[in-house]
Parts: sequence; C-alpha cells; structure tokens
Amino acid sequence: MRRFLLVAGALVAILLLGMLIGIALGPVKLDFERLLSAILGRGDASAHILVWDLRLPRVVAALLVGACLGMSGCLLQSSTRNPLGDPQLFGLGGGAAVVQALSIAGTLRTGSWGLIALSVVASLIGAGAIALFASRQGISPARLALIGVSLSALATAAATGILAEARVFSQQSLYFVGGSFANRGWSDVIPALPFLGIGLVLALPLMSRLNALALGDRVAANLGTEPKKTRAIAVAASGVLGGAAVAVAGLVGFVGLLIPHLARLLVGHDIRAILIISIPLGAVVTLFADQAARLVFMPSEVPVGLVTALVGAPLMIYVARRVL
Amino acid sequence: MMVNLEALSFIRRGKSVLNDVNAVITDGALTCLVGPNGSGKTTLLSILAGELRATSGGFLIDGRDASALSQKEATRYFSIIPQDVQPPPHFTVFELVLLGRMGRFQPRKSAFWWRLSEGERNAVHSYLARCQIESLSQRRVEELSGGEQQRAWLAFALAQEKKFLLLDETLDGLDIIAKQSFFRLLKDIASEGKGVLLTSHDLDLVTQFADKVIVLNGGKVSYEGPPHAKLRFLFFSTDSQRSPCQ
Repeated sequence: MRRFLLVAGALVAILLLGMLIGIALGPVKLDFERLLSAILGRGDASAHILVWDLRLPRVVAALLVGACLGMSGCLLQSSTRNPLGDPQLFGLGGGAAVVQALSIAGTLRTGSWGLIALSVVASLIGAGAIALFASRQGISPARLALIGVSLSALATAAATGILAEARVFSQQSLYFVGGSFANRGWSDVIPALPFLGIGLVLALPLMSRLNALALGDRVAANLGTEPKKTRAIAVAASGVLGGAAVAVAGLVGFVGLLIPHLARLLVGHDIRAILIISIPLGAVVTLFADQAARLVFMPSEVPVGLVTALVGAPLMIYVARRVL
Repeated sequence: MMVNLEALSFIRRGKSVLNDVNAVITDGALTCLVGPNGSGKTTLLSILAGELRATSGGFLIDGRDASALSQKEATRYFSIIPQDVQPPPHFTVFELVLLGRMGRFQPRKSAFWWRLSEGERNAVHSYLARCQIESLSQRRVEELSGGEQQRAWLAFALAQEKKFLLLDETLDGLDIIAKQSFFRLLKDIASEGKGVLLTSHDLDLVTQFADKVIVLNGGKVSYEGPPHAKLRFLFFSTDSQRSPCQ
C-alpha cells in the first residue's frame, strides 16, 4: 500500500510538472509573469489564447489519450492473459483508424461527436472479435496475438488504402499514422471525455475479478467470477478507450503495450493496483512524449508515435528480458 | 454431506462419455476415481463443478437435486483444481492462497490486498501451514517444484472453505516420494471432514490411501467400494461389478 501511494504521489507530481512544461514552453515564449497572469485569466488576450485555447487543450488531449491507452492495454493484457495485449496491436484501434481515414479523406462528413462515436463503435467491432477468440478454451496467447496483429494489419492497410485513394499525402496523414496532438482543441478533447468515463465505469468494478482470470478460466469460474462475462466487459471497455484515443490522436504506438508492464514493475502484479496506476502513468508518458515531439525540433514537430516508439522500444526490450 | 450420482449420463457430439453412472461420494473420505484415459473421469468432475450439464440423470447433494444448479451455485459446494492448471505469472504462494479466499465471498466484496485484515492473513497462513508450505509463502508459484506447486494449489482449494475438493490428476508428473506425501496429506484433510474426490492412475497409492474407490470404464462404473488388491484387474474390466455393501 505504501509503495502504491508513493508511486501514485510521484506520478501526480510529475504530471503537474509536465502540464506546466506543456503550458509554459513553445515556439512563442512566455515569461513567468505573463504565464501566471494567463493561467489566472488576467493576462493579455494573446497570452490567454495561447495558454487556454492552444496549449492547454493539447496537454489535456495528451493526458486523456495516455490514460485511455494505459487502461486499455492493462484491461486487454489481464483479461486475455496475454502480455502482448495492446489496443493497436490487437486491432481494436484498427476500426477507429479506418473511420478516421474516411474522415481525413473527406468520405465521412460528421462533427467531432459523431466522429468519435463512430470510432468507438468501429473499435468495439474489433473488440468483439478479440473477445470471441479469447473465450475459446485452449487458445494460446501467441495465437491470440497473431489474430490481433492480423486484424490490425488489415485495418491499417484499409486506412492507408483510403488515404492513398483520396490522394491524402499531407502532414495530416503522417500525423494520423504516427499519432499527433498538433492543433487539438477543446472540440476534439471534450467529446472524448464521456468515453473515458464509460471505460472507467465498465472497468473499475471488474478489478478484483481480473486478478482471478490469471488463474485460468476454469479456476476463475470456480471462484464465482464468470470469466467470459468479465472478459467481454473488459475487452469492450478496452475498445471504448482505444477507439476514443485513436479518434483524438491517431495511432499512438507502444503506450498501451508498455504501460501495464511498467506499472507492474512499479507497484507489483495486483491488477487493481496496475489498472489504477496505468491511468496516471499512461498520461505522464504520453504527455512527456508529446512535449518532446513538439519542443525538440521547434518550431516544426514530429509525430508523437515516433517518440513513444523511440523511448518505448528499448524499455519494452528491458521489460521483456527482466520481467516476462 | 453426501453426493449421490443417480443414473448420470453425458453425451458429447453423439458419443456417450458417461453412461448411467451411480455412485456415492461422502465428506470425511478420500474417494479416488480411477479408470483408463477417456473413461469419463474428468467429465464427471466437470459435471459436479457445474461446468457441464448431465445429458440425463443427475446428482443429489444431501438428498436435494443439484443437477440444475448453475455453475455459480455449484461453486458453493465444490472447489476444483483442473488437470491443466497453470501457475499464475508473478503470483506468490501467499497471494495465490489469498485469491482462493475470494471463493468464499461474492467477488465484488473480496478484500483489497492492501486492506487485508488480520483474520484473513491468519486464515491464509493456517492453510499454508496445513499444506506444509508456510516457508514458501513469499516464493513465486511458478518457481516452485511440481510437488510444491500442487501443495500451493491444494492450499488455494482449502482456502475456499468448500465441502468438497475435486482434484483432477493432480499428482501426474510427481516422483513417488512426493506422491506418497501428497496422498498422506489428502487422507489427513479428508479425515478432518472434507470430501476429497481425486482422479488418479496410481493404483498402488490409491489402494494404500483411498477410503473408497470408484472405477470408471468406458463411461460406466465397474466397481465402487473400498480399495483392494485386485483393483488392477477391475481397471481394465468392462463388466459391472459392485461392492457387496452397495
């Protein structure tokens, strides 16, 4: 418990620091006085717009997407007993990616709310396929991962095909494939919030049951945990969260895969602790990755997925060698 | 407490797996279910645990028909350790047994590990001590030897505090010393009031330790009664031979 509180406290402190960096630093410099005035809503109009309409929505978008992906990965890994569980890798984000590609290509014309709702629905279709395969007795984690990777590859191919057919080769499509928070405003962030809420409402009551799933379906059922129902709800929650994340930021890789493993290193292997810590940990990692993506090559920036892959790949190799 | 199997049959994909099985399993006794591979032992355990439904016939628990119990209701009476059980990754023995306590409650009400009461902690330690693995409590289950793992699973099953333990070929792969020691432990646990139903191929150990033997052959009970020296012959017999006491 002490370790859990320490980690949670440290993450909240790092989160606040990241938010401050996100608001204070950028191509347009703000001195401390102007920054403080803008945060308190008293500054000049340009500083106010810069902080409240440009930088803060982007920071909140990164926090939201990181929290969604962290939770989504944790739910997938625990409910399918698969260390490769990741919304991107398992194809959950694939359906949402197709919807986003249709929107970028101009085929699908809908507002932010409609777009995010369609993304979540498409993601749930992928989640349904994974839940169906995962419920079959005797399916190995490797086979499930192969099915997920195949679904994901299929969806990515479809999304790329849609973008190519529509001749969208702009930075917009690069940011979509690599994931980006550039130019995200409140109109992108606010529609995603209810889906984070739905994901939390679905996932939190499952926490103790997810621990029992680690024992295998037969033993878990004997403990009264209804493994198929638990898995279906967990994967659905993962689909909602993964779909919402793709709708906001495109395909941000590695966060969903890496965060549950890092959380396990930090707080042990009780799924309840891992799931709760995955929320701020995912938010912290994504927020700092986005800061690196926008600040290192200022005034231009790189897709955030590039940073998460650069940092995530060596970390994942370390985790795989040390823990798995 | 007594479980009466009454004309229990089970058909899978048109093939009869269990055919008119009649037998009695009581608490306070180590009952061994023996028979060749494919004789229906695992299926019988699955029916008792509520994982499968009998095609016809059924079973009574203390005279009450339990055939229609849902899997969730059946879990109140039986804790099962399947043949292919895998050690959960990263779990310590203490945590595994603690998770077994979950079977006593509705899962939603289970205690958070970080709010573990002294009573729960003591209960877990008592089951670890009962299975003689208290010194292993902080070791990872996956790092234990086969015999130690089986004791951890037994402590997990006991922690659920159900009346009957269903153990499916739990001893496969253990050396003879570990098997003997495990059989002795099961016998002691049964003598303290639990009903233990164990499927096994070790006829010598079954003869030595079991209070009662049920021989399944081709889905039928070919013998039910106390163990005796001619068990090996019954193992391969297809003729129904009942104990004189039945």
